[in-house]
Amino acid sequence: MAGLELLSDQGYRLDGRKAPELRKLQARMSVFAQADGSAYLEQGNTKALAVVYGPHETRGSRSKSLHDRAVINCQYSMATFSTAERKRRPHGDRKSSEMSLHLKQTFEAAVLTELYPRSQIDIYVKILQADGGNYSACVNAATLALVDAGIPMRDYVCACTAGFVEDTALADLCHAEESGGGTSLALALLPRSGNIALLQMDARLHQDHLNALMEAAMTACKGLSKVLDGVVRQHLEEVSVLTSE
Amino acid sequence: MMELDQSGSVLREYGSEQSLLSRPDGSSTFVQGDTSILAGVYGPAEVKVSKEIYDRATVEVLIQPKMGLPSVRERAREQCVRETCEAALLLTLHPRSSLTVILQVVHDDGSLLSCCLNAACMALMDAGLPMNHLFCGVTCAISKEGQITTDPTARQEKESRALLTFALDSVERNVLMSSTTGSFSVHELQQCIAVSQKASEQIFQFYRDSVKRRYSKIQ
Amino acid sequence: MRDTPLSNCDRLFLLKAIEEKKRLDGRQTYDYRNIKITFGTDYGCCIVELGKTRVLCQVSCELVPPKDSRPTEGIMFFNLELSPMASPAFEPNRQSELLVLLNRQLERCLRNSKCIDTESLCVVSGEKVWQIRVDIHVLNHDGNLMDAASIAAISALSHFRRPDVAIQGRDVTVGSYLLVDPCEREERVKDGLLVIAMNKHQEICSIQSSGGIMLLKDQVLRCSKIASIKVSEITELINKALENDKKIRKEGGKFGFAESMPKERITTLKRDKAPVEMTDVKETANDIVNRTETTTEVASVPSPVLVATGTAQVGEGIVNSWGLDEDEEDEPLTEDRKTDEVMIISDSEEEEVVILNEEAHFTTLLLRMRVYPDARRLTGTSSAFPTVERARP
Repeated sequence: MAGLELLSDQGYRLDGRKAPELRKLQARMSVFAQADGSAYLEQGNTKALAVVYGPHETRGSRSKSLHDRAVINCQYSMATFSTAERKRRPHGDRKSSEMSLHLKQTFEAAVLTELYPRSQIDIYVKILQADGGNYSACVNAATLALVDAGIPMRDYVCACTAGFVEDTALADLCHAEESGGGTSLALALLPRSGNIALLQMDARLHQDHLNALMEAAMTACKGLSKVLDGVVRQHLEEVSVLTSE
Repeated sequence: MMELDQSGSVLREYGSEQSLLSRPDGSSTFVQGDTSILAGVYGPAEVKVSKEIYDRATVEVLIQPKMGLPSVRERAREQCVRETCEAALLLTLHPRSSLTVILQVVHDDGSLLSCCLNAACMALMDAGLPMNHLFCGVTCAISKEGQITTDPTARQEKESRALLTFALDSVERNVLMSSTTGSFSVHELQQCIAVSQKASEQIFQFYRDSVKRRYSKIQ
Repeated sequence: MRDTPLSNCDRLFLLKAIEEKKRLDGRQTYDYRNIKITFGTDYGCCIVELGKTRVLCQVSCELVPPKDSRPTEGIMFFNLELSPMASPAFEPNRQSELLVLLNRQLERCLRNSKCIDTESLCVVSGEKVWQIRVDIHVLNHDGNLMDAASIAAISALSHFRRPDVAIQGRDVTVGSYLLVDPCEREERVKDGLLVIAMNKHQEICSIQSSGGIMLLKDQVLRCSKIASIKVSEITELINKALENDKKIRKEGGKFGFAESMPKERITTLKRDKAPVEMTDVKETANDIVNRTETTTEVASVPSPVLVATGTAQVGEGIVNSWGLDEDEEDEPLTEDRKTDEVMIISDSEEEEVVILNEEAHFTTLLLRMRVYPDARRLTGTSSAFPTVERARP
């Protein structure tokens, strides 16, 4: 898409944001009563639903259970109506199974799995509407759901994408910016320690720009973590008001 | 009656290398002209309960094509090779265990099945599995004029009227397995067997030489 | 078959060694293993050896209609297979986690990074484009499959058509220590993996971290520096290999896998083209055929026998003695008579075996079937075989 101008001369992006600006983030916790933990998250027009079950006994084959820590089982799926073209398979294709794997790896790094040996934690994430940054929306939603389930973690896991256009790093890409074929970097960060739980980048980028791009993504993640923290605090306040009465 | 032409009856240049892979228990590559097969053998090893046989080892042969997924043709070849291996190996020595032979087609330029057989035998030798006898494969093509060609190239195979592959044992030179396509007379069949037996002598000599060379440094 | 787990001893030893900046094979932490690229006789086919890791790659193409969403772009398809030859833990036709990861990573670094110009694969816009299929078979797994696979894919693609591709290189972290190009055992003790794909212009094509590690930004940046150096080395190697192959093809020399076999190795043996002795082949063949032909004439050709309406049988063995006779024989049978019968049958069996024709085999088969029920009945009546033995003289 050569004709599309991702960054105007005035420094505005397609949807009117400035380069380091994030999309609006809204989230709710405990949206389901049956699950151990759940969360609904909107990051711009990307909408994700995360549900957590566990820790519980390992299901399926017993050989999967680990003697020293919990197994994390992730399933990522996209609603058939999530994209402009109706999707045939909500999950099970190469991309989805890869995404499931990445989510699993991210949370294996963040959750204190060694507290629950021989058990299993299930994380199910569904994208209801896809508008760029699917991975990051999933991670953020799953973090909230894990908090809701009361599973101990090292820190919030915040994920954000970043792109690189005309020597400027753009934070939190939307679908139009992502599909333009430019560089796109997804990063999951544990903000307090500055540890990177997952890093993934597509398309070409000169080595010298890597630092700037990662810096932009990390700043965005830190911004996100504040918003997530706010959501959690507000939720706790609501709950404690209800229970105290 | 057909005429036998001396020019048709050659074995292309052939060679092999053993123990070239680190993971399998035995491995070999066998090259006949441009046709090349890589073989790996695992076993005797633990076997899936569903495949377990109480008095002998389970033999599995897998042929991996170079492009795409294995099809019916590969399955048919697998069976030919498996039955030959089963005839040669002393399976009763390893009850309730598995022997897996994996053959990877590296290049196909005719006589693929015989090359598979030869590679499998070399790999089994490398793995040190006890066998009744060795085996080798020889492919003969009968051209439209009735001329017999041993070890045909892909082109010769295409032009041929019938294609016969035999697996022969090293002791009696008996036929262990035969796989044929196309039409041929009884005379031609007998001639092909006779030719294959002659050719097999060279291959068995090659086996012998390669083993001799391999252990030449051991006093 | 499941993979044997790494023992705690081994694991500790490896980690300790890495801590002391020593590796099992004597390499330094940032050293690559030897890379060997061999091209086959076909265009677009190569074997890459990275230390003991070995992969085979074949590129093929066909004309297909393009995808509706991208009418002017060719299609790239990557198919990496973990052949059970590579490791006993790999099962055929199973989508394991590793397989998905490797396939997607390959796709990402070779397709999404646009190192292959898919638009140049278009023949007629919206109607016909080239689909390039890259098949990669892992033949031996000794760590760092991703590198070996991408080097193989790149080499095969450049060999197939033209060198319009970028080159990749990789890094790996083990715990807090950085290791380049891990072997299989090192991979087993790793905490995580960071894969960086780059081209020779120092442009990063893709980055992927996996395995649940915590990375710091400096580590990533340091890895990318190391990768850029390794990439230029590997690029040079691939180019050299390609040039070499081109030169040999031009000069009409010998090439292909057969030529690349190391001749000096003790495990290798080669033979030149050799004629097969065929002088008396015709005679032996004729002999055998004639022999069978004469015997066929000797043997009386059995005529079909009609036992009852609606049935027809061929061969003398078919004269069924135990359908009708059985009832009569049942009670008055003495042991002597029984053994006689067995003897006769076994005699006739021997006779028939000599005659090598189909009908004879057929009869013997039927005869054998007759022997068994009788014998079984013998066992039923009294001790079976000893009596047969006694009666024989």
